[in-house]
Amino acid sequence: MVPKTNCFRLDLSLALWLCFVFSAIREREREEVFDQCLRICKEYTSQDLLQLDPFLNELTSMFEKSKEKGSVWVTLKRSSLKSKLQKRKLSAAGESIEYRCLIRATDAKKTISTSVGAKDHLRFQASYATILKAHMTALKKRERKDRKKSTEAEKKEATSTTTTKPKKL
Amino acid sequence: MVYIVSWDEFVEQSVQLFRADPESTRYVVKYRHCDGKLVLKVTDNKQCLKFKTDQAQEAKKMEKLNNVFFTLMSRGPDFDLSEVNGKEQMETQPVKKGRGRKQ
Repeated sequence: MVPKTNCFRLDLSLALWLCFVFSAIREREREEVFDQCLRICKEYTSQDLLQLDPFLNELTSMFEKSKEKGSVWVTLKRSSLKSKLQKRKLSAAGESIEYRCLIRATDAKKTISTSVGAKDHLRFQASYATILKAHMTALKKRERKDRKKSTEAEKKEATSTTTTKPKKL
Repeated sequence: MVYIVSWDEFVEQSVQLFRADPESTRYVVKYRHCDGKLVLKVTDNKQCLKFKTDQAQEAKKMEKLNNVFFTLMSRGPDFDLSEVNGKEQMETQPVKKGRGRKQ
């Protein structure tokens, strides 16, 4: 519906102009044009979804690059990866909408994303947990001295308030 | 910001928030290696729950929460979470095979 040139700005401007033109007309056509605008944006910003293993490799390299400075953000969200228009079409046809878990990771320079369905979520979960364990090493570990002090303090409190000593597991 | 002090309370409230509005709730994890800080955020764009820590043991708890959210998000908000714990036990059990036969 929207003519395509190879210039991103032209494409987007054309699409947006058509949106305004159609804004007075039926909502459905407007949604189709919005849909196409989104697709054009995604194509040019290459925000395409990666497969699970490439995503995990990229995530690992993000953690490694951000060791000296910087942060790594990982976002989890439930999504069907379909636009409102597609959702409406599916529900009108009586089909159930399949939801997936959308995972995005960024280090403020680059963003990668992938989606995980009900079948692969266990496998992804395991690999993801391994990556986190390997890289989140800067967090403080509880020192034994602190533990002893805290258990001693707890014991003193316990003996002063109750007659029986609580069992420490 | 709404930082919650107790881990269990954070987990309970975030699962509740997700179940109330699964379409718009998202779970964000931010890790800074240089500061050794981990921040967790769950929001549905109306309410925001946050948890921050610098303890390694809380990172282990976070991994369990990750599993919870993965399951809820890919399988549906009505998925029974006790099954998740059951599955984890199933995964650890096979490791104990083969102890009795060696002589």
